[in-house]
Amino acid sequence: MEPPITQATARGNNVVAVYADRVELRSGWQGQHVEAISIRDVSAVRIRGVINCALTILDNNGRHFELQRMALPDARAVKAAIERQKQKASTYE
Amino acid sequence: MRRLGLLTTMVLMLVLALPGLALAQDGPTVADLSLAMDTVWVLIAAVFVLFMQAGFAMLEVGFSRMKNVGSVVAKILVNLAIAAMLFWAVGFAIAFGTGNAIMGTQGWFLAVPQNAVNDVYAGLSWTQVPLSAKFLFQVAFCAVSLAIVWGTMLERTKFAVYVIFAVVFAGLLYPLVGHWIWGGGWLTELGMQDFAGSTVVHLSGAMAALAGTLLLGPRLGKYNDEGRPVTIPGHNMPLAVLGVLILWVGWYGFNPGSTMAATPQIADIALTTTLAAAAGVLGAMLMSYAYRRHVDVGMGGNGAIAALVAITAPCAFVAPWASIVIGFVAGVVMYATLVFVDGIGVDDPLGAIAAHGMGGIWGTLSAGLFTTPELAAIGRPGLFYGGGLYQLGIQALGIVACGGFVFLASLAVFATLKATIGVRVKPDQELDGLDIHEHGVYGYPDLVATDYQNGNGASKIPDPLDRTAEGTV
Repeated sequence: MEPPITQATARGNNVVAVYADRVELRSGWQGQHVEAISIRDVSAVRIRGVINCALTILDNNGRHFELQRMALPDARAVKAAIERQKQKASTYE
Repeated sequence: MRRLGLLTTMVLMLVLALPGLALAQDGPTVADLSLAMDTVWVLIAAVFVLFMQAGFAMLEVGFSRMKNVGSVVAKILVNLAIAAMLFWAVGFAIAFGTGNAIMGTQGWFLAVPQNAVNDVYAGLSWTQVPLSAKFLFQVAFCAVSLAIVWGTMLERTKFAVYVIFAVVFAGLLYPLVGHWIWGGGWLTELGMQDFAGSTVVHLSGAMAALAGTLLLGPRLGKYNDEGRPVTIPGHNMPLAVLGVLILWVGWYGFNPGSTMAATPQIADIALTTTLAAAAGVLGAMLMSYAYRRHVDVGMGGNGAIAALVAITAPCAFVAPWASIVIGFVAGVVMYATLVFVDGIGVDDPLGAIAAHGMGGIWGTLSAGLFTTPELAAIGRPGLFYGGGLYQLGIQALGIVACGGFVFLASLAVFATLKATIGVRVKPDQELDGLDIHEHGVYGYPDLVATDYQNGNGASKIPDPLDRTAEGTV
């Protein structure tokens, strides 16, 4: 399996990993729940806060994923990676 | 021939008599011998306290999973080195240098003429041992306080965070609190009793640990899907108990050594230290049995540590029976705190917040309760000996001031680190273990267990047990 471009830990066993074609959100005690969002489906990525950041990912289906208590550099790296991949896919608005 | 024999005999007699003459003229005085004894005792005590680093290493290794043990020992080594450097450069001067009620302002880099030592380091002028002995003893304390910080932050913290925070803590935070209570600062003036550092060393470390842990968050898998805490067992309980026993032995340097003189009082302090630790083990084990219906080995060890932390402040001021009460209560309080802290989402793998934090608070308060009039060399007798509430109030003030200061200052440092470089490793690094990612080696190369990620192919790290890989049989 390909390694992620970047990844980060958020509150409550939540992990976000950015791959070339998708964003994976892993959650659950053993990381058993995996939600994959296609890079093309990501409509917006927002960061709120400075110390305990909240990273919000919105997709075209109206879903809204919020990852809390992230470090600012981690959240920025995730946002930058998603935006870079969207640009590569020529779908960035 | 007879002349030659006579001459030889006379020369021999003269040679034999010379040392006796020399001793009669320049022999050491009682004061010289006393100073030499004091110096030897302080150095032995300093070595005992430095050896406590081995205790912390074994304790943390035992309570860690095997994929993180190399990171633990690397962190212990670098923190000891940073503590020694920073405390030599600025920390010792801030803590014990002559200055104002907040901090010392003289004696940077230990660069002081021999005849001016007591003027420059007024905070330690009560002991006559050489400056180098004073420094060695105090730097060992600083290293212990710093080691306490990381017990709560094991298995998920970036190595750079250890290094950067160690500089701030050993160079500024710990010395400031040390000056307030031991170095002639404002709490010294009020008569706060903290003989060997329940507040200065242990509470300070625990408050910094709490601040760091709140910003760091729990380890992946620590809380289940219902949000209940899951026990993540350490990989080697005998090593953890060995660590506890090394710490227990090290405490005979910590508490009796704080006399900084070879006086008969050191035996009394060693007695109170021993009784408290023993009572702490029993208190924690009884609590463990009452709560879970089994006797938890790790909690027994933490009970000993909590009791040793608690008796650190009043060890020279209380009667032996009181030390048993102090130790037993410390063991009970430690267990209750551990369960509470676990329940509110603060992941403390080692129990440092409970053992060093609550142990430190209880120990400092207990001095205001149990100090006898005969032993109250500083401050006033305790509440139970007719001293009233004054001393208890001073002790509580010291706890709030020192604990609050270290917590807020540490929170600011960790928040800055979280907003700039981040404090936590990447999820894959946490799941694979810090040893291979941060240090390039496994603690146990032939026997390492990592978490679920290693099995599903997401990790970049090869499975060390995969014998089908190229180059293996």
